[in-house]
Amino acid sequence: MNIRFIFTFAWYYGVKIFSRGPSYVIASLTTPLSLLFIVYVLTQGKLVEFAVVGGMISLIGSIGLQSAGDATFMKLQLRVQEMYVASAVTPIDYMLALTMSFLTFSIPGIVVYTVLGTIFGLYNTVTALSMVFLIVMLTLSTSAIAFIISGLVKHVRNVWGIVGILSIIMTVIPPTFYPYTDLQNFSTSLIYILFISPVTPAAISAQIIFGLEPWNMAILTYSLLTLVAETVIYFAIAKYLIRWREN
Amino acid sequence: MIEIKNIMKKYGNGPIAVNDVTETMSKRVTTLIGRNGAGKTTLLRMLSTQLMPTSGTAVINGHDIIKEPHKVRNSIVSIPQEASPIGILTPYEQVRMYLIGRRFSLSDASLAARQALETVGLESSMHSPSDTLSGGMKRKMFVAIALASNAEIVFLDEPTTGLDPLSRLEVWSAIKKLDGNILLTTHYMEEAENLSDEVFLQDAGKIIESGTVKKLLKRFSGKIRVESQSPLDGSTMLGGMHILYDIVENAEKHVKNGANVKKITLDDLFIMRGVDLEY
Repeated sequence: MNIRFIFTFAWYYGVKIFSRGPSYVIASLTTPLSLLFIVYVLTQGKLVEFAVVGGMISLIGSIGLQSAGDATFMKLQLRVQEMYVASAVTPIDYMLALTMSFLTFSIPGIVVYTVLGTIFGLYNTVTALSMVFLIVMLTLSTSAIAFIISGLVKHVRNVWGIVGILSIIMTVIPPTFYPYTDLQNFSTSLIYILFISPVTPAAISAQIIFGLEPWNMAILTYSLLTLVAETVIYFAIAKYLIRWREN
Repeated sequence: MIEIKNIMKKYGNGPIAVNDVTETMSKRVTTLIGRNGAGKTTLLRMLSTQLMPTSGTAVINGHDIIKEPHKVRNSIVSIPQEASPIGILTPYEQVRMYLIGRRFSLSDASLAARQALETVGLESSMHSPSDTLSGGMKRKMFVAIALASNAEIVFLDEPTTGLDPLSRLEVWSAIKKLDGNILLTTHYMEEAENLSDEVFLQDAGKIIESGTVKKLLKRFSGKIRVESQSPLDGSTMLGGMHILYDIVENAEKHVKNGANVKKITLDDLFIMRGVDLEY
């Protein structure tokens, strides 16, 4: 693995791009912050802690998915991926480099939600470390989904629509801004369907770890294992579908 | 050296893009010329390990492109057709980033990026965002990537397509500074004549002729191309024009009759083949 390349790429394609044009990052913050406001108003502040924790999860998930646009653009429009194929860079190096860049885009959002979480007294050592773990896994898994999309899409224009739809389905509908037990009461089968999105097990884990929902070891274990398994599976599929060497 | 062995590519149920090509390319600058859709890019993408052949293989500097793609990739650099820079990043950042991908150390990458950008004439704009550069400057940035890579074989796919004549000359000048052997594709005959030590003419997936420009044009020795709106004795209709190859001595006569007289170029290999295909 070419660590030096991964970090250099993330520095240029993440930090430099953010510092030269922060609108992308600000735009990605608008949906979770708007939902936080709506949840606050509608529940008169009762579910605001869910929205603060879920907002972080939703933000990371949506930035990861939105990266499909960048991956597709670099592959089909700029032909950057093609240039790296014919070099010492491996598909894993390239995917991790782009993933690291997207994680960089998330940093301002992470700061905003960490400040809000601290104001609401949600963070201690255990919850903070757990959130770091969830952020890393979510970034990896949603970026992998983004690479799967970019591998399947034939025209750059199509990717924006697909990402918009997936972003809502995979980051807003799952129990990010409301208790997962409400969804369980509404439809048990729906919760299992929503588990296809790594945001669902991440959000459920966060709600249990942060003490927003009653402690349930079985559901927590199931959620964490699902999140890890999905990350591995989505990455494996992405490695194949990225079409490093086309057939 | 590139040794191509019966390489073939077919996309699904579509036509055969590259049809059973077997050639050896060992000159410093080799050019694949052919019309759009001739299969030049497909052949180049297979050789640069970006595309799997349907059958056959090639050996690049002793390494098989199918069995040892990683070894091949360490010795090549490939600049795709119509590659574009990441607009918000500077040429220096992009060249450096690519070199680090090729496992250059951070300091070596910085030095090599700076030197290569200076060599291709981008010293004053290497720290400007790439989207502020002209088309020619963007292409030169990619030539700088190839130059800085110090690769043994450089693949350039239509490096000057869409550029104005002056920018094209600037890119040619930059290409001439590249180390290592170069395989480039183009449909500009002038480009092939200007840069190549050896030319391969590709048509409908097959290599139909090869050799030095001088050798390929030998058959036209002492001749001119006459183009006329009206039929000429022994002329052939091609592209709405009556075309005749005649001896240089008759040039004045044709001009007096209102025809256009052209010097022989590599274009004539195509025109001639077009004539052949008509009959």
